[in-house]
Amino acid sequence: MYKKILFYSFLVLFMLVLAACGNDSTSESDSSSEDESSSKDEVNLYTSRHYDIDEELYEQFEDETGVKVNVIEGSADELIERMKREGKQTADLFYTADAGRLHRAKEEDLLQQVDSDVLKENIPDKLTDADKEWFGLTKRARVIVYHKDRVDPSELSTYEDLADSKWKDRILIRSSANIYNQSLLASFIELNGRDEAKAWAEGVVDNMAREPQGGDRDQAKGVVAGEGDIAVMNTYYLGGMLNSADEEEVKVAEQLGVFFPNQDTTGTHVNVSGIGVTKHAENKENAVKLIEFLSSEDVQKQFASANYEYPVNPDVEPASTLKEWGDFKEQDINLSILGENNAEAVRIFNEVNWK
Amino acid sequence: MLKWFRDIRSNLNTWTVLSIVFVGLILLPSLSIILQFSAETNENWNHIKEFMLDTYIVNSVILVLFVGLFSAIIGSSLAWLISAYDFPLRRFFQWGLILPLAIPPYIGAYTYHGILNYTGVIQTTLRNQWDVTVNQQYFNIMNMPGAIFIFVIFLFPYVFTITKAFLARQSTSLVENARILGTSSWRIYFKIVLPIARASIVAGVSLVILEVLNDYGVVKYYGIQTFTTAIFQTWFGLGDLGSAIKLSGTLMLLILGLIVLERILRGRKRFSFTTTKVTLLQPVKLKGRSKWLAFSYCMFIFTIAFIIPFIQLIYWAFLTYEQGFSTEFLQVIGNTVFVAFAAAAMITVMAVVISNISRLNRGLIAKVFPKVTILGYSIPGAVIAVGIVSLFIGIDEVIYQWGWASSYILSTSIVMLIFAYIVRYLAVAYNSIDSGFERIGIHFTEASRMLGNNVTKSFFKVDVKLIRGAIFGGFILAFIDILKELPLTLILRPFNFETLATNAFNYATNEMIHEAAIPSILIVCISAISIYFFHYVLERE
Repeated sequence: MYKKILFYSFLVLFMLVLAACGNDSTSESDSSSEDESSSKDEVNLYTSRHYDIDEELYEQFEDETGVKVNVIEGSADELIERMKREGKQTADLFYTADAGRLHRAKEEDLLQQVDSDVLKENIPDKLTDADKEWFGLTKRARVIVYHKDRVDPSELSTYEDLADSKWKDRILIRSSANIYNQSLLASFIELNGRDEAKAWAEGVVDNMAREPQGGDRDQAKGVVAGEGDIAVMNTYYLGGMLNSADEEEVKVAEQLGVFFPNQDTTGTHVNVSGIGVTKHAENKENAVKLIEFLSSEDVQKQFASANYEYPVNPDVEPASTLKEWGDFKEQDINLSILGENNAEAVRIFNEVNWK
Repeated sequence: MLKWFRDIRSNLNTWTVLSIVFVGLILLPSLSIILQFSAETNENWNHIKEFMLDTYIVNSVILVLFVGLFSAIIGSSLAWLISAYDFPLRRFFQWGLILPLAIPPYIGAYTYHGILNYTGVIQTTLRNQWDVTVNQQYFNIMNMPGAIFIFVIFLFPYVFTITKAFLARQSTSLVENARILGTSSWRIYFKIVLPIARASIVAGVSLVILEVLNDYGVVKYYGIQTFTTAIFQTWFGLGDLGSAIKLSGTLMLLILGLIVLERILRGRKRFSFTTTKVTLLQPVKLKGRSKWLAFSYCMFIFTIAFIIPFIQLIYWAFLTYEQGFSTEFLQVIGNTVFVAFAAAAMITVMAVVISNISRLNRGLIAKVFPKVTILGYSIPGAVIAVGIVSLFIGIDEVIYQWGWASSYILSTSIVMLIFAYIVRYLAVAYNSIDSGFERIGIHFTEASRMLGNNVTKSFFKVDVKLIRGAIFGGFILAFIDILKELPLTLILRPFNFETLATNAFNYATNEMIHEAAIPSILIVCISAISIYFFHYVLERE
């Protein structure tokens, strides 16, 4: 009797779950049976970006083309691992922040080449993979911010200068576990060579006003709070603070000046959020259509105003907050390099004990 | 080997078969990870050893020691106060003090930093009202003591719940005898409560420790380098999954070592009862100053661990609710509750089966099975996820090739995610249920079997009634844990499937903590409701 109860309760539990996934799989097999006739109504996307504007744009895309965008959000490295394991059964598109990660996906042979005249026109070559396996969609610069009262911008010049002892105990920068710092150092390895890059990292560690902690916004707050005088951060975080719902954040951001380093030398470090079509994409046509849509003038305008990122499409102007900071000269390296040098950058950070 | 077979055969009944199947299922994904241990050491491994391991291990040990110690002290003392004494709001604290568990530690970490930092409410008020600017060092929570604080206040309820369940039912005769003999409260606490509740406290503390060792959110944000940091740096920074798995293997061994060590130290000391009279401990009414002292202590912990962060979250939600709240949230809430409920229910059944069989068995099963349940909990979620994807793609490949399905079904559905939850959180329910079994001992079951009932009948007629609270408690703990779960949900969910935790995390990692407030509040509310319900059911008994 009781044995039966145990077994039935079991059965019910498993049925519950099976029913749940049954629902899922029926709905999926429905769409896959329709696939035969019209395989053009969806596209599967893995993304590590989590902005509300992204979702709005996918909906807009669906309205315009009738193609539904299915999304899984996750952290980039884990999604790459998942794609590797999935082999042929995987997403059609991979969308993530930081060229280093896009390059890693390419290295793992997860992406494929896309030839599109639209993309060629909308996105500059420099922000595109050399083999056209991924395309930058939004751009950000990693700049120096300084306290307007305590620092005269004429003191500032280059990233390299941050290793100088005049900045002792004045620099705030986040931990080396962060990909933005890894890509920054990766660019120096390319431009200045490994030894100089390491010496630079060592110098910065010496000059840190406190041990690395928190995110980019926390570095900005640290400067205003007087813990340091300058900080290294991405532009869109400052843009977000200047337009924050929290007026205290706005006050902090207003006390900071933006400085684009290396204007007379190698240029300011920039990076992108970018997207690529996966090697085994089943809906390649839709995938390319979505990339083209995201690079179009109209959509790029929405990106720029919602997120304070720089548009990649040269025909589109950045948001007014960013325009006030002025134009700047960018590092002139192909962004794939950031990915190639990433592991080396991590090793250097560990060697110099950059936490 | 022969003995092992005989062992199995003599116990071959439904329970044994089921538990072997369950344990096998859990082992499968871990196996692909375990196989990597033997991978050759490469250049990266040397780099890790030279530059990372020392500090990372030291930091992890400090973190584990202090978090373990403080959560044991706070959890067990609160459990004792509430089981043995009556004071204002005691009935509320019985379940209110479990509530901090509803706040995911990384959200708590962001929230406390949000309160204390330069633009936080404290400093802002000081600055704008009285023009006082404080030294940032006094308000900096992003360091080792800060991380210990965060973990302790949001994880101590593990110890509190498990210990309280034990004390309320099982300490009665000893405690009341001591009271009659005029022993002071402090003496009772140290001489009786701590020793007899040791198994429960240890069960709670080991959950806390495993949770701490697994955390990546808090330590990454606060910039503390722990063992988990090393694992992720190796995997993502150096791009070397093999070495990362080796590292997590080392971590797993360390944890198993700790557990075995505790068992050895505890030795043969077992406190179970032969009397059939399980009476509830009658709380003594406190008077005067001690009444208010007990109340203030509970209130203080409740305030810092729940009220303060919760109010801050609500304030943030007000800043952003216009753009933040939509009807899509209903779908997200539905998803979250459904997966958590389904997985927690299965986990509970499996935990009962495994712990019952390993309790009644004296052979290998009793020694090995409990450790297997811990496996999934001791490997970082992201690493398990890798094992699980490989496993499911393998199964799907078979199904596909045999023509049972036209595409991959399992790995594109929610089954994979629920399976992952089971592998990961079995330990949570198991620990609660096992400590329930431990305190009733096996005398009742033996008596029942002597009377001719088989294991199943004995279980339903005798055991269930005695450990109902522990079973339900295990279910609730697993349920809440799954509500908050992150790395697995992020990596293993099917398309367009969002939970509250992924929603909150997505905003928080983008430094949009205000937007993360609404999903966080919803997690807290759902957990709170389930905790209250749990308590209500227990009360009615």
